[in-house]
Amino acid sequence: MQLAVNIAVLASIYALISCGYVLIYRVSRVLSLAHGELMMLGAYGLYATASLFSGQPLVAVAAALALSLLVGVLVYVALMWRMTGESVLAAVLATIALGILLRGAMILMFGTQTRHPLEELGWTNASIEVGDDARISGVGLALVLATTVCYGLLFAFLRMTRWGIRMRAAGQNPLLAAQRGIGLHVIYALAWGLATLTGGLAGMLIASDAGLESTMVVIGLKAFPAALVGGLDSLAGALLGSLVIATAEVLMVYYVDPLLSDVVPFFILLAMLVVRPWGFFGSREELDRV
Amino acid sequence: MIKRKTKWALAMRRLTKLTLTKTKTKLTLAVPIAAALCGAPALAQDAYVVGVSAAMTGPVAGGYAPIVESMKAYIDLVNERGGINGKPVRIIVQDNGAQPSKAATDAKKLIGQDKVIVLINTSLSSTYAPMVAESKRAGVPLFFAGGVCPPATYPPADALQFCSTAYSANLDSEAALSFIKSTAGGPVRIGFAGMAIPLVRTGIEHAEKFAGSLGMKTVGTQYTPPPTPDYTPFATKIKDADPNWVFSWSPWVSQVRTFEALRRLGWDGSYLSWAHLNAEEELARIKDGKFYVIGTNAFLEDNLPVHAEIRAMAHRAGLKYPTSYLTEGYVAGLVLEAALKKTSWPPTPKKVAAAMSNLKVDLKGLRGGPLEWTKTNHFRTAQYYRVWHWDPAKSAIVRVQDWKVIGAKR
Repeated sequence: MQLAVNIAVLASIYALISCGYVLIYRVSRVLSLAHGELMMLGAYGLYATASLFSGQPLVAVAAALALSLLVGVLVYVALMWRMTGESVLAAVLATIALGILLRGAMILMFGTQTRHPLEELGWTNASIEVGDDARISGVGLALVLATTVCYGLLFAFLRMTRWGIRMRAAGQNPLLAAQRGIGLHVIYALAWGLATLTGGLAGMLIASDAGLESTMVVIGLKAFPAALVGGLDSLAGALLGSLVIATAEVLMVYYVDPLLSDVVPFFILLAMLVVRPWGFFGSREELDRV
Repeated sequence: MIKRKTKWALAMRRLTKLTLTKTKTKLTLAVPIAAALCGAPALAQDAYVVGVSAAMTGPVAGGYAPIVESMKAYIDLVNERGGINGKPVRIIVQDNGAQPSKAATDAKKLIGQDKVIVLINTSLSSTYAPMVAESKRAGVPLFFAGGVCPPATYPPADALQFCSTAYSANLDSEAALSFIKSTAGGPVRIGFAGMAIPLVRTGIEHAEKFAGSLGMKTVGTQYTPPPTPDYTPFATKIKDADPNWVFSWSPWVSQVRTFEALRRLGWDGSYLSWAHLNAEEELARIKDGKFYVIGTNAFLEDNLPVHAEIRAMAHRAGLKYPTSYLTEGYVAGLVLEAALKKTSWPPTPKKVAAAMSNLKVDLKGLRGGPLEWTKTNHFRTAQYYRVWHWDPAKSAIVRVQDWKVIGAKR
């Protein structure tokens, strides 16, 4: 039972991070390699708002989420908008440069010390019993719930709302979508905003559980195989990919060798690239070679 | 024809004159520029010049930058008091970002361009090899201040390598397990946890062997990859092995996350880990009576006179780190000051190496005894350990073992 709980929490972490990769790629075909940094920025945002709104944790969380959304939109408006019409490689390189810039800026602003946003909020990470023989941390439970809610809302948004349908249209055929009067820049900005919001939320929850430090960037990259295994343009694929990777990791830690847990996601990714390069639910025709 | 030749000769003469004038102008400009460029080394000769290559930025900077800042602040203080032997000390800090290639470039620049008399490394062990190579090539002593002490500093020590860093994989394991043995008061089923990096594995492997020699039963060892988004899967395996003690010798993040994950899984055993720079504030954050830290630097709770000096220094230098982070850098500053005091003017790398090979530094109570380097031992002749934990009854950090000495011969 404990192993199932561990898998659920780890899969939620990967799913929440990887949905940002998927949203941006699905809509604009750009692979954001600054996602880890944007995730960390979200966590620092929570730390900052928790200090700013001391004694009002809910306001601090809401402000941090709004900040993440805003940052995502600003990244598009200030940088990625200029990449429209350029090659995909140029856009990917721009995200790498953005990541380096953000990393440096965060160290300058917040220093190198470990921060604890949860304590700043005045909350504790309690241990909750699940059945007779398993436990989950309060933040772990929040991660599972947040991932469920985020994916539920995103599925509903993309299928049932006008803006969601426009977003899917822009992702499928931008030229046709533009000819039909859909403002592509608004759609792309919204995709960047939502991706940064979900990534930022993942960063906030991970930082609440394990503290906030500059190594978080690498955790952002660890979710990347999950997105690729599921199919880079499929939200359902990201969920399944995260579950597969998390299951393999947790079982490897428990039954084989903990050191292999770092290798197994990339082993699965390689196997998937050989057998089914577009992932579980990815679009076959969208494969591109750089 | 003759007229044309004369015209040609005149033109050539003009051209030669012009070129000479230009050359003169160039020379006139070049002399002050060269003088200005040589200014730095000229100034350097009026000071003890020390070169530092450190991880000031990057993912691991949190464990190194405070050490360099503290050491630099201490040397600034020394300069304000009149310097050493009447001469100022100039510290040049290069940021290697914990990257070996950058450390190599730093060492070349510091030795070749800045003419430093001693090199300092405060970074990951992966940056050591290129700096050691440059140090050997130029005969400049290399002082490890804050990074792990390399084997070449232990007896029989390399003539050019020295180390003041608090921790030592094997000695720390022995001191920690001896504490566990004396505290447990019964059979010990021990688990080990650490980050999957070579240095940690060396320490943990030594600890496993040493635990056996003390009659302890090793029930499990877990290495976590750096970084790990969730430590619970690793902690689950340790918990299921049912240890009553866990020892972790690793970067702080790995030590404390594994402990916190164990607690959330309901494990109620005792946990001993290494006291890194942030240990004091973390003990107060975690507030768990069975979470112990072992270390060689005094805590601020000791309230020594030197702690008031460190606080004043930090305030004066405007350091942004908590005072408890600054001890290691202050110790490095004391050692550097003592070594340079024994280096007569004009200083050379050879004189500094000779001074460092026979050095005894009073650490003002920041460690259990003086730091002593001999011709064959550039680590220290004795290592002193204390153990602390959070006492829930007193709601304070309490020392549970006073200085216990281990001879450092290795």
